[in-house]
Amino acid sequence: MPAEPPAVGAAAAHVRATLDGVFETVARVRDATARCLADVQRAGRAPVSADLAALRPLLLPRLGPLVCGLGFIAAPQLLADAAWYMEWWQAGPAGRPCRLLRDLDPERSALYDYTSWEWFTGPESGAERTVCGPYVDYLCSDEYVLTLSAPVHVAGAFAGVAAADVFARTFENEIVPVLREIPAPAFVVNAPGRVMASNTATWPPGAVYRESPGHAARPCGDGVHCVALGVGP
Amino acid sequence: MNSAHLVVFAPVDNTARVHAVVRRLTDAIALGLLGDGEQLPSETDLAAHLGVSTVTLREALMALRQQGLIETRRGRGGGSFVRAPARPFDLDERLRSLSAEELRDLGDHYAAIAGAAARLAALRSLPGDVRRLRRSLEEMAGTAAGAGMCRLDGRLHLEVAAASQSGRLTREEIRLQAEIGPLVWAVHDLPDRRGRVDAEHAGIVGAIADADDARARDVAESHVLNAVERLIERRLAL
Repeated sequence: MPAEPPAVGAAAAHVRATLDGVFETVARVRDATARCLADVQRAGRAPVSADLAALRPLLLPRLGPLVCGLGFIAAPQLLADAAWYMEWWQAGPAGRPCRLLRDLDPERSALYDYTSWEWFTGPESGAERTVCGPYVDYLCSDEYVLTLSAPVHVAGAFAGVAAADVFARTFENEIVPVLREIPAPAFVVNAPGRVMASNTATWPPGAVYRESPGHAARPCGDGVHCVALGVGP
Repeated sequence: MNSAHLVVFAPVDNTARVHAVVRRLTDAIALGLLGDGEQLPSETDLAAHLGVSTVTLREALMALRQQGLIETRRGRGGGSFVRAPARPFDLDERLRSLSAEELRDLGDHYAAIAGAAARLAALRSLPGDVRRLRRSLEEMAGTAAGAGMCRLDGRLHLEVAAASQSGRLTREEIRLQAEIGPLVWAVHDLPDRRGRVDAEHAGIVGAIADADDARARDVAESHVLNAVERLIERRLAL
């Protein structure tokens, strides 16, 4: 196998650094939510949806050019007053944060049992960092997004998911310049095999990458090992 | 000025905004995103969430009230509440307002979107996408005719559209479901149609699972066109 062009290592490092930056925000939401829920528990009562409003001063200023959606998605039955609930904020069209309003109860709305999405099942089954997508997010934004998520635990029990959304186009704009430094077809691919960003029209974002002769996949770092850089011949 | 003039001469930006809010909430109610009896946030909150003025929001709520999609109660415990249609959907009444040509054209548009979405879904689906579609099929198999089935039917087609990886096709699917979905679902629910419709749904999912893009498009197109043909027949018999 020919030697790896030096730009490949740099691109992988940049992908990792970009995802790490978003995961740092997710970790702050995770920690703040865990503290908030633990405080309620110590006060001897069950948490309610209004308790989560305490997260807003943390969430709102972090919406911006990179993170377009941010918040906490409760595990079903966590809250005493709402079986299905998300404290979820999005960057509005005018740049003003908007709260997501949706009926999330699957009994009433066939659409939204959110527990089957990978951004929920990943953390629920113990993954510290899950990168889901890009996918068309018809639940929240009707946009093509990546969701990065982490589990929230309270007293050792899974309480829900802290997550951040990044528009696929934002991620692409961040990553494509370093991919273009690679003198070969190169793209970033998520664990199930979806192309996230690419320097070639042969593999556009959203395409499915199936093992292809002459391509080498290179993991983008330990913490985000589920994302790989595919480099063609 | 008569009411038509009022609409025509209303400030353009505001009319567009009212229309956008009405459409957003109508879609949400039609697709079951907002459930029957659900209370909307206060006018101030909702206007802030949607990024519109309270004047714009009030106009939109008035239009929704006239369509019977929300109900506003005054006083303590008051507010605006979502009203899913109380009586069963009256297909013939709905059809009377549409010509055969309009139905055919709606069908052409929807078939184009549904077909393109299914074709791309077949090319781009990963096992997780197919699992989601299969799960909807299974839930449909265990659901009786009625509102629950309509919601699942809408969800399955939304999942197919999302599996295409196209945000535009998905938004178009949502828009078309709001426009023609209730008519299509009413036809699907006719007792003599159910078996065939179930087979069509299974056919779309099967073609996507097999990554057979041409078959996925063909089945998805004929799925729409079969329903529309039935709607046109029924319209002409009124």
